[in-house]
Formats: sequence, structure tokens, C-alpha cells
Amino acid sequence: MEELVQKEVQTIPKIVFENINKVFHTRKQTIVAVKDYDMQVDQGDFVSIIGPSGCGKSTLIRMLNGIIQPTSGRMLLDGIPLDTSKPYSQETLRKMGFIFQQPNMLPWYTIRQNITLPLKIFGLDTPEYQEYADELISVTGLQKFADSYPIEASGGALQRAGVVRAMVHKPEILLMDEPFGALDEMLREQLNMELLSIWKRLNITIIFITHNVEEAVLLSNSIYVMATEPGRLVEKVDIDLPRPRSLEMITQPRFVSYTQRLVDLIGSVELRQIK
Amino acid sequence: MKLSKKTITNILAPLVTFLLLFGFWEWAVSHYQLPKWLLPAPSGIIQSMVVNFNDFWPHILITFETVLIGFLIAVPVGILLATLITSNKIISAALSPFVIFLVTTPLVTLIPIMMLFMGFGQKVRIIGVVIQAFSIVNMNTVTGILNVPIIRHELMQTMGSNKFQSLRHMIYPTAIVDIFTGVRLSAIFATTACISAEYVAGNHGLGSQIIKYSQFLKTTESFACIFYVTIIGLFMYGFVAFLQKKVIYWKI
Ligand SMILES: Nc1ncnc2c1ncn2[C@@H]1O[C@H](COP(=O)(O)OP(=O)(O)O)[C@@H](O)[C@H]1O
Ligand SMILES: [Mg+2]
Repeated sequence: MEELVQKEVQTIPKIVFENINKVFHTRKQTIVAVKDYDMQVDQGDFVSIIGPSGCGKSTLIRMLNGIIQPTSGRMLLDGIPLDTSKPYSQETLRKMGFIFQQPNMLPWYTIRQNITLPLKIFGLDTPEYQEYADELISVTGLQKFADSYPIEASGGALQRAGVVRAMVHKPEILLMDEPFGALDEMLREQLNMELLSIWKRLNITIIFITHNVEEAVLLSNSIYVMATEPGRLVEKVDIDLPRPRSLEMITQPRFVSYTQRLVDLIGSVELRQIK
Repeated sequence: MKLSKKTITNILAPLVTFLLLFGFWEWAVSHYQLPKWLLPAPSGIIQSMVVNFNDFWPHILITFETVLIGFLIAVPVGILLATLITSNKIISAALSPFVIFLVTTPLVTLIPIMMLFMGFGQKVRIIGVVIQAFSIVNMNTVTGILNVPIIRHELMQTMGSNKFQSLRHMIYPTAIVDIFTGVRLSAIFATTACISAEYVAGNHGLGSQIIKYSQFLKTTESFACIFYVTIIGLFMYGFVAFLQKKVIYWKI
């Protein structure tokens, strides 16, 4: 009996989107950014959301993080519905780390001060957490930039710092909104591999937004493909490739067949959209 | 400290302009034999600034004190009010029109009325300075706060930051450039407002002396006081520039 209960607890998904809708009303028009969206993400999962620009990818994780509120539907965290009628408590927010498309660093703080800002705001500014911050800084190779101001650091270093800032309070979930989209190919590949090793080490749950098909296949357990107008889910593609993943896999036939399938899916979505 | 070419140019160019201007003034006064009561020569004015220093000094002090105290009250009041206005729609609706009213109304027109209530002392002049100087700080701070990029608000929101934390870590530092634009203008406004207040009534401060000397056609002394006002204004301006360098330590 006890075992049964245990099992039940373990199968509660980390994140659930239940029939989520988001409508934006602007002065000129009404935009259905997300329509009837459903998604379940397990603890320790790595899922990507992919789709053409404007299909509601950002809107989804921004709702989950409480930056904006859904028009209808439910989101559950660890099986508990999120109350979107008021700003989330810090207790809830602490479970998540949000990584923006831009580094979004504050120029008056050094990289280290930027990274440790969440500790100040969350009231976690203890030696333990500071030590953890230092560890993350060294794991990501940011030591030599730690005491520089953002303006003095490279784009790659800033984006790394953005990732570290979102992790410094030990969240259980990382929400990443096209985090490396602005970086060049080489750097992006490198950061993706770093991300995978961090993910494996921390057993953290990641929702990763991208419009790069290869990146999505390389990183994810499953990929949610979205279409636009209205923003909606068209298909969930599970990626059954062995881990650990490596960049060499990109040229392997199974990898290529996944990317081809996704490209076709997104292509047909975009074609329909043009018509 | 090594002076760069740019710094030297920045100092030298205005100095040359200044000397040319005063040289021309000096030459014109003697060439056209202008009477001293109409337009004294710069050399005469500077001489008076030195010779009559003991007469001027108490007034310099009073004016400087009024400007400085008024300014030091105006800046925090302006910033605080701007913070309130931008935090709450109702407060904004209630207060914004009055701030514009205060910026657009020339203060000199209010001072005589205020003096009916409060007499001719330094207090009323300080209040005059505050009213004139805070509103420009307020206006620029409001602009600065409203121009904070949404993405920075979102950053603070992801951490569940409260209002005070957001102000301290993000909003004020983002708005600081605009705030300083207001503070710089308010330093100038403070000086102008103080002299205007001293013009209107009383016999304290450089403003009152400028009026007094010109009534007796002692134009040289009058100009000497005006030059001292300029020096106070320059000091205030320099003080703010110094402060700005100290406060905004990061590159923008
Ligand atoms: N704050 C907003 N106000 C109005 N419309 C918005 C807002 N945010 C997003 N949208 C609209 O919602 C749709 C989805 O946006 P977004 O989630 O940013 O798409 P994606 O991230 O997939 O490119 C777009 O049409 C966008 O214009
Ligand atoms: Mg987006």
C-alpha cells in the first residue's frame, strides 16, 4: 500500500498546462496568442517548444512564470494549481528560473552582482548560496568576468551569466526563452552542450524555447511543435536518441530523420499560414 | 593627473572666448567713453568685487545658503513625489496637473503673495527656491521612471521583488541619467529663484543688493553682485556635475 502511494507521488507531473488560452486585446485587434494548450512535463524532463515567430512560445512560459496571466485554463506545479489571480509568492517563484532572450544584465552591477541579485531579492543571501554562486561561476568559466561590468564582457559571457543568474537560487525548473538565439553557431553549440551537462548534474526540469530544429532535437526528450494564428499545439514529437548527446550525432541518420520530420511539420504549418 | 588633449581644448576654448568677450567689453567702454553708471568696465567690476568684498560677503553667504538649502530640499522632494506619482494611477491623476502648474508658473508671481502670509524672512525665500527647483527634478524623474524598459521590470518580477527592492536595484539606477538632467536644471533654477525672491523684498542676499545699488546708480557694485551670483550658479552646476560623476560610476 505504501509503495503504491509512493508511486502515485512520483508520477505527478512537474508542470501541467491544462486547456490554457491567452488573448491579447490591443486597441486595433484581438490576438489569440495561445489557444487550448495542453502540456505535461515530468520532473527532470527536457522539453523544447518550437514554432514560427509569433506562435505564442514566449507567452506560454511567461504565463507559467507569472509575468502575464492566462485568459483561461489551469497551470499546475507539482500537482498544485497556480493562483494566477494575484502575483505569485516568492515561494512559488523560487521554484523557477527564467532566462531571457537578451542577457538583461543591469549595467551598474558587476557580473557577479548581477548573478547574485536573486539571492538578495529572495532573501537567500547566505554564505552557502554565495558559495554555490561561486561554484556556478567557475563551472561556466565566468571567473575572469565576475568582477567586470556587463559592458566589458562578451555576448557569450553575458548570456552565460543570464543562465547562472536564473540558477543561483537553486530552482527546480528552468524556463529558457530562445536563450542563445542571438549568438553565433559555434558559441551556441558550446553553450548547448554546457547546458546539457548542467541539466544532467542538477536533475532540473527545463522548458526550452527555440526556432532552431537541430538545437531542439539535440537537447530535448520531446518537442512541442506550435502553429500560429491562433497560437496552438500541432504535434508532440518524442526524441528517442541515446544520452549523453553529442554534436557528432547531428549528422547521424536517426538525428537527420528527426530534423527532417520537424522541418516538414513546421514547413507545412508555415505554408498553411501563408495561404 | 595627465590632461588629455580633449580636456585642454575643453578648458582652453571657452577661456579664450571669455577673454575675447571681456576684452571687447573693456575696449568698447573706453573707446565710446560710456559713463560708469550706464556700463562699467569689467576691470572696474572685478576691482569692486575685491575692494567691497566685506560689504558683499554677508549677502553672498545668505544667497548661497538659501540656494543650497532650497536645492537640497527640492531634489529629494522631487524624486520622492515622482516615485509616488509613477507608483499609483490615482496619485498620478491627482498630482500631475499641479506639478505642471508649478513648472509653468513663474515663481516670482507667487512670492509676493507668499510673503503676505510668511513675512520677508529667509524661510519664505527658501520655500520659493524649493517650489521652483523641485518641479523640474520631479518632471525629469517621472520621465526616467516611465522610460524603464519593460524587460527590466520583468526581470525583477521573476524574482518576486517588492517595490522598494525594485526601486533600489533597478528603477532608480535606470532613471538616474534623467534624474540628473532634472537635478542639473534645478540647480540653475534654484539660483534664479533665489535671486528673484530677493529682488521682491527684504534687504538680505545678493538680489536685494543688486536692486539697491542700481537704484543709486552704483552700477559697478550692482554688476559685482551679479558676477557673484554667476559664481554661485557655476558652483552649483559644478557641484551637480561632480555628484553625477560620483553617483553614475558605470559606463552608460
Ligand atoms: N503584451 C502583448 N500585447 C499584445 N500582444 C502580444 C503581447 N505579447 C505577445 N503578443 C502577441 O501574441 C502573439 C504571440 O507572441 P509570443 O508569445 O511572443 O510569440 P513567440 O514567442 O512564439 O514569437 C504574437 O502575435 C504577439 O504579437
Ligand atoms: Mg518569443
